[in-house]
Amino acid sequence: MRNFFLVLKFELLNLIRKKAFRISTIIISLIAIIALTIPVIADKFGSPIFNKDDKPIEEVEKAHYGLLIEKDSIDLAALKLLLPHIDIVDVDSKEELSQSVKDGDVEAGFIIKSPVQYEYLVMNTSTYDSKQYEMDEALLALYRDEALSAEGIDSSTVSDIYNVPIEHDVEVLGKDSMKNYLYTYILVFGLYFIVIMYGQLIAMSIASEKSNRAMEILITSTSTESLIFGKVIAGALAGIIQFAIILSAAAIAYRINAEAWEHSLDFIFDIPAEVLLTFSIFGILGYLFYLFAFGIIGALVSRTEDIGASATPVTIIFMIAFFISMFSMNAPDSLLLRIASFVPLSSFMAMFIRVSMGNVSNLHVGISLALLIISTGGIGLLGARIYALGSLMYGNPVKFRTVVKLLREQRSLNSTR
Amino acid sequence: MILELKDIHKEFSGIPVLRGVSFTITAGKALGFLGRNGAGKTTTMRILMGLFNANSGQILLDGRPFDPQHHSIGYLPEERGLYPKQKVLEQLMYFGQLRGLNSVQAKDNGLYWLEKLGILEHQDKRLETLSRGNQQKVQIAETLLCNPDIVILDEPFSGLDPVNSQILKDIINEMIERGSIVIFSSHQMSYVEEFCDEIVLIDEGNIVLTGNLKSIKREYGMNRISLNFTDVDAEASMDTLSNRIEDIRIIGTENGGIVVELLNGKSKNELLHNLLALDMNIEEFSIYEPTLTDIFVQKVGDEL
Repeated sequence: MRNFFLVLKFELLNLIRKKAFRISTIIISLIAIIALTIPVIADKFGSPIFNKDDKPIEEVEKAHYGLLIEKDSIDLAALKLLLPHIDIVDVDSKEELSQSVKDGDVEAGFIIKSPVQYEYLVMNTSTYDSKQYEMDEALLALYRDEALSAEGIDSSTVSDIYNVPIEHDVEVLGKDSMKNYLYTYILVFGLYFIVIMYGQLIAMSIASEKSNRAMEILITSTSTESLIFGKVIAGALAGIIQFAIILSAAAIAYRINAEAWEHSLDFIFDIPAEVLLTFSIFGILGYLFYLFAFGIIGALVSRTEDIGASATPVTIIFMIAFFISMFSMNAPDSLLLRIASFVPLSSFMAMFIRVSMGNVSNLHVGISLALLIISTGGIGLLGARIYALGSLMYGNPVKFRTVVKLLREQRSLNSTR
Repeated sequence: MILELKDIHKEFSGIPVLRGVSFTITAGKALGFLGRNGAGKTTTMRILMGLFNANSGQILLDGRPFDPQHHSIGYLPEERGLYPKQKVLEQLMYFGQLRGLNSVQAKDNGLYWLEKLGILEHQDKRLETLSRGNQQKVQIAETLLCNPDIVILDEPFSGLDPVNSQILKDIINEMIERGSIVIFSSHQMSYVEEFCDEIVLIDEGNIVLTGNLKSIKREYGMNRISLNFTDVDAEASMDTLSNRIEDIRIIGTENGGIVVELLNGKSKNELLHNLLALDMNIEEFSIYEPTLTDIFVQKVGDEL
């Protein structure tokens, strides 16, 4: 145990002292702080994001549409009233309108042929073009007004009948997925990044220990269990420290600027204790599980440049677990997510999502947790044995089949002793 | 202390690597553990250090089963085994503490060995910034940090200049005098001859030669005479000897002289008489003592 703590301290200090760790923590924290200070900055520059005093936001630059009304088919003044945010330029001919569109004087041109028919002139069409929709709505409103008036009906009365607001109150008895979605998403994404980042780092650290032969001295100095657990837990702690620093910086920045945000992001930072606890326990265990897997990869290769290729199977499994979890966030009680929440390869994300956004019994959480604890401990011990074998295996990356064979041989030797 | 390896067998995936390795090492004496690359030296050392178990065989210390966990073993690997990016003293302290020293002892011992090896001024430098020789000295300091009872040195002189080699020679001699068990593996035979009273020669997992170095040399020199003549070169004298003297075999030349083997019970005196009768001007007539390199090549060099 003493040596485990020695390894842990040595490895943790090494990781934290690294420039890459300090610089990345500072930069990401700064980005989070700046992003959460944007409303204050925007206020200072006179472009508030939130319209605090309910004053009309100063008119943004209006869009310009060219308009040619054939045969006085509609009332231009009435149309202008329906499209207040558009500067309508009246033209006399189709040629003039085309030229204006081509020259870029107007964004689009409309030739109104009748109250219910027009021709649309545009330079380039785009997927998000809403100009026709706006014109359709305006012409429809004009047509309805005129038609209703002709029938002697007050159009404003009809409009009131059609647009009566329905009031409703919502009482969420289970989980409010709308509210939980964002912080669940952020936490799962954060977990994804630290597993990938620190997984590579652990694999790299072990492979370089192997290539510079420090491993030979280490395994003659202490038990491989102390070494692998010390290393992996140090890597995990470094990741957690970094994640916590960044989250704290973001939370503090938001608390300071909460007024400027009109408390609109409170729901992200107001994570229920139950959810945070599940995230911490499942997240840390899953994180350790994958760090051990990456550690094993590091012990199987002899050169750091081989890690990328050798780590691919682990990375693919992790990505599948991640995508199953992410895509199931919209259906937290789906069968796929329920299965994933018991498989240790994915349960650390999937069960967290179920707790955060769906309905899950404590028994299921307990079973999933027990499976994850056993698997994480198991892969840790397997890692320790493979780490010891690592010093035997130099040269090309070793196949997992060979490792299993060697482990069996070692086990049979130990059992006969 | 007497360390005994008895009939150690080891195989990896069905391929035998050690096929009954047995030898004995006594405290206060250095053992030269020799063999060609891939002969099984490192595997034997690793089994001795408890990195993995042998398939069969025993290791005994003073007649009792040897448990490496309960003894301080200093291992100097052939290749560098340290952290290139760590500061020298920091990593020495780390390794010292892993082997059971407290932080004060680890620091004191680290500083002691750095000073003794003349690299105290590098204690706060990263290892990779040091020259190859100084890195080797840090590795030596790491090996000796815990004053080990058993020291395994694999090519310890690698990268050291003559001055530093002398410093290390003195340290190895101190350890031998102090009563440590020293296992010395090197391909530089002159160093082995200098330190080792006993040698073990391993080839393809078999011990092919073991025993006291002087006795072995004597045995290998038996019936061989080293000759040197004034005014006649080796080639000419070889012709004369092979044509005019019976019951001898010319082995070859060495240091400008000739080595001959006596056959069919021919005595040294008979040879001397033959040479005097030929009126050859003898400059040297001595019992031939082979070098360790000669013995090594003779025993395991047949595939070269």
